[in-house]
Amino acid sequence: MHMYLHEEVLKKMKHLKSFNKKAKMLDAAVSQGEVEEVVAMQSVVGCTSVNDPGWEVDPFGGLGSLCQPMESDLYGCADACWWPAQVPDTMSTHPNWSQDVAKADEDWRKIDAIFPESE
Amino acid sequence: MNFKQMISPAKRLGAVMTGLVLLGTGLSAQAATDEYLLTVTRPNQLHVIDTKTDKLLRSCDVPGIFGNGGIAASPDGKIAYVMTNKWEDVYGFNINDCKIVFSMKQSSKGVQVKSMISMTVSADGKELYTVQNPVKLHKDHFETLQPRLAVYKTADGMNAKPVRTYPVDRRITKLGFIEKTGEVILGGADVKAIDPTNGKIRTLAKLQNWDRSPEGWVPPDAFAMHTLGEHIGEYIMPYFTIKWNGAPGDMEKAEFLWGMTKVDTKTGEVTSGEVLPFEFIVFNWLTDPNDEDIVYGSFNQLSKHNIKEGKTLAVQPMPHTYYNINMLQDGSKIYVGGTSSDISVHDPKTLKKIGSIQLSGDMSTSDLRIAKVQR
Repeated sequence: MHMYLHEEVLKKMKHLKSFNKKAKMLDAAVSQGEVEEVVAMQSVVGCTSVNDPGWEVDPFGGLGSLCQPMESDLYGCADACWWPAQVPDTMSTHPNWSQDVAKADEDWRKIDAIFPESE
Repeated sequence: MNFKQMISPAKRLGAVMTGLVLLGTGLSAQAATDEYLLTVTRPNQLHVIDTKTDKLLRSCDVPGIFGNGGIAASPDGKIAYVMTNKWEDVYGFNINDCKIVFSMKQSSKGVQVKSMISMTVSADGKELYTVQNPVKLHKDHFETLQPRLAVYKTADGMNAKPVRTYPVDRRITKLGFIEKTGEVILGGADVKAIDPTNGKIRTLAKLQNWDRSPEGWVPPDAFAMHTLGEHIGEYIMPYFTIKWNGAPGDMEKAEFLWGMTKVDTKTGEVTSGEVLPFEFIVFNWLTDPNDEDIVYGSFNQLSKHNIKEGKTLAVQPMPHTYYNINMLQDGSKIYVGGTSSDISVHDPKTLKKIGSIQLSGDMSTSDLRIAKVQR
């Protein structure tokens, strides 16, 4: 559940120093004129297709503007289908997922993955 | 468009005078009013908290699977309408004894209907409103249908059906009600109002469709969830924007700004404009009942700002994210909640933590509302 800033912001944050691997990649891409590719990868790899809730960076390439910790934000994002490919769709197809775990920060280990019914 | 420019000095003086008069009469009204903090947690319970002691009074089991935990209190504060069962059904609880006095299910065979948080009650308590997002479930595909405002009569009790429906925009999440005009506020891409007797819609404040040039401004990113400002009769919604003082994209000259749209839910008066420089993300703002220039924000920190001067006055780091914020009518305590299973209580003067209310499960997307009950 995050507010996203304009793409232009991300591309123009020249005053920031790269801190992690992804930020360094972005810096390299800026010099090579390949920003669009990195921005697209952030969106595709970071936010929709990897089953790793909490793996995200904020519009500034850091973590300060993200909800913290991930366990506090897990249900707030899952219940609202904010992470449509990272956690089961509780609105329609898997309404009972995590219903037995009332507190995600205490019992997150009990939250299971979902597998196709045919397997 | 700036609050300072929008509110003339005379009007501001009038607002201050009105505030003083209200303060005078409000003290006696507050003395005769009990305020209860309401929220919903997993697995699916409505919690009623006494704000005098900050103790949990009772927990009411809510039928169905959790989601989203939205709450609209009746004007007399005695009934809490709770959104449940995967954002589809609503139950009305007597908060005094957990008795269910109202229910409605929005989905029907073959048509799934979700309300994205959007629910409110009329000023006389006789009607309940939701924005319904229907999807027809075909064998091989889903068909999205026209969203609509649905009007229910609260007196219909159990298994109520909508008495009227009117088409509305998509993306509507945050509803309110204007007492003077009898309109329902529709908060989403823009802020509009609909007359629930005939479906007529008018725009209160443009956001996504504002008239500003993209050469000068980035279209606003508004967060239309949760906090309303019911402690003072306000509908408040934040937005973020960038002002390009140079060429679009020139970050050296750009200004990052917070704006907010406010609707007086008694009169319908609307103010909208930029109020603060962007320093950090805030999910929700709340106005101090004793000073309209002071707002509080919640997210990864609790913050206090003066929107007249555009200054941040205090910041209190928080142990985790909190989506929601609310406070008592007399301004004596701030409550922040949502996300996890604790409501954090703070002193508005210093923002220091003065208490914590532990709940049985996570609040997730639930509301944090105040119900005011006359003794």
